[in-house]
Amino acid sequence: MSTPAWLTQPQIGLCPCGCIGTRKKANFVDSTITGSAVLLRRAMFADDVSSGGGLLQRIDARVKVLTLVALLIATSLVHHVPVLVAVYLATLPLAVASQLSLGFFVKRVWLFIPIFTGVIVLPATFSFITGGDIVVPLGHWFGHRVGLTSQGLHSAALIITRVATSISLVVLLTLTTPWSRLLAALRALHVPKIFVQVAGMAYRYLFHLLDSVTDMYTARKSRTVGTSSNTREGRAFVGATAGALFGKAHALSDEVYSAMIARGYTGQARALDGFRVRGRDVLWACGCLAAIVVVIWWDRVLGR
Amino acid sequence: MSSGADHVVPDNLLVVERASFSYLERFQALDDVSFAVRRGEKVALLGANGCGKSTLLKLLDGLVFPDSGTYTAFGALVTEDSLEDEQFSRAFRSRVGFVFQNSDAQVFSPTVREEIAFGPLNMGLARDEVVGRVADTLAMLDIEELADRAPFQLSGGQKKRVAIASVLVMNPEVLIFDEPTAALDPRTQQWLTELIVELNRAGKTIIIATHDLASLERLADRCVVFDEQHRIVADGTPAEILANTDLLLAVNLIHAHSHVHLIEDPDGQLREVMHTHNHAEGHHTV
Repeated sequence: MSTPAWLTQPQIGLCPCGCIGTRKKANFVDSTITGSAVLLRRAMFADDVSSGGGLLQRIDARVKVLTLVALLIATSLVHHVPVLVAVYLATLPLAVASQLSLGFFVKRVWLFIPIFTGVIVLPATFSFITGGDIVVPLGHWFGHRVGLTSQGLHSAALIITRVATSISLVVLLTLTTPWSRLLAALRALHVPKIFVQVAGMAYRYLFHLLDSVTDMYTARKSRTVGTSSNTREGRAFVGATAGALFGKAHALSDEVYSAMIARGYTGQARALDGFRVRGRDVLWACGCLAAIVVVIWWDRVLGR
Repeated sequence: MSSGADHVVPDNLLVVERASFSYLERFQALDDVSFAVRRGEKVALLGANGCGKSTLLKLLDGLVFPDSGTYTAFGALVTEDSLEDEQFSRAFRSRVGFVFQNSDAQVFSPTVREEIAFGPLNMGLARDEVVGRVADTLAMLDIEELADRAPFQLSGGQKKRVAIASVLVMNPEVLIFDEPTAALDPRTQQWLTELIVELNRAGKTIIIATHDLASLERLADRCVVFDEQHRIVADGTPAEILANTDLLLAVNLIHAHSHVHLIEDPDGQLREVMHTHNHAEGHHTV
């Protein structure tokens, strides 16, 4: 092997007077690497929380899934904002009793509501979408009064509180149940096993592929000298990464399937589920049932 | 030492006769390979990268089938068709276990416990027996504390242990390892080598694809050597194979700068270790 001459030449040294070059903001490579790390950290955090010894963590996963789904259905049947607010407020002590930080729990729910639900319900509050009594006048448009109507605001409040309550219940379930137990509970509740198996494997390999993406981006970062444009070259790199990842995922899926076949898999999903309903599970289920009855009754009392 | 393998011996568990295989009908992986594994043997498949070792292991595990030639396991012909028979497939899969090189492909369940239970459940064992076997295997491989962990929380060595546990739990008669010590730290390599020796002493037949010439004498009592044309060119004891420097050079298993060193085992025995370094560097022979 002969070494080319350029390979033996010294490189530009570090400036002895310190870092005086221009600085640049983090580009998409740094953002992706950081994003991968954040996702992994979140997954580890969720795993730690769900394995804790709080109130909901000690409830059988099947009972928890069934009762929280029942509460979700009850929530969707309620037509009064005060009732929904009461249900939402009731989730807060449950979160605290399950060793979830109240601030984290509230943020997790309310962070997405303005983004998703808010955008959807905002137009419904205007008089030209939902007719009614204008309580917040905004001016005139083609001779008509324009503003927010009480009917529109009520509908928006109803949808937002219903979404917030539903998300809170789902967050309570997912943060207090390890992913593997949640899948096992779904299997026990007769969700098709093949569906649950595919979901489980998708979650498992998400992290493996995330590692591959991080490696590719880190390798690029280590070879990036000076500033790099975020445009054409960046798009080409992202495209190439996506293609390489697709190829890796395909090869991996072949290998995983071989590994399954080698251990006797014949297309029928089987799982080791060990559940035991204890006194506290029965107590929790009865409590939820009573709460559902009260919520429905209160909503009926308030009328339509 | 003989070229190829003598087969049709009554004690032969697995027999491959004149098997050829190519990927996509284009990339040759095995060329007229004949090979037999006797009960209780420790066989090492040696060869350079891409010579066909892993393909032969897949063929022995009934994951690929020869384009020409035959494969017989436990006296029965193994074909794509015969493995569609549920009874045959279950019997074959429970008697031959395969530890893949890439543990990430083998550890696919949400938790370690479910991973280890996967094989026995597919064998149709009763739940209580599966639970018992899983607990015993976890204890045997000293990974009880990993039981409820997700695979992404495991190190490379831990994943390898879980992959081995997931195969051992099925109590296979034949254990196939593809590059078992690759990319493992020295302690895990040592643990794995000892485990393989122990399993063989317990009566398991072991087949290993490896580049690890240093551990060859412990890992195998018979070596089968592939050349880069995907053919078996030698079959002999580790001592015979390691002594044949011309053969090892020809099949790209050692470099011209490789040397044999003698090192002392913990039990005081001297053994040969193949070692490669640049001629410009000095070296010491122990």
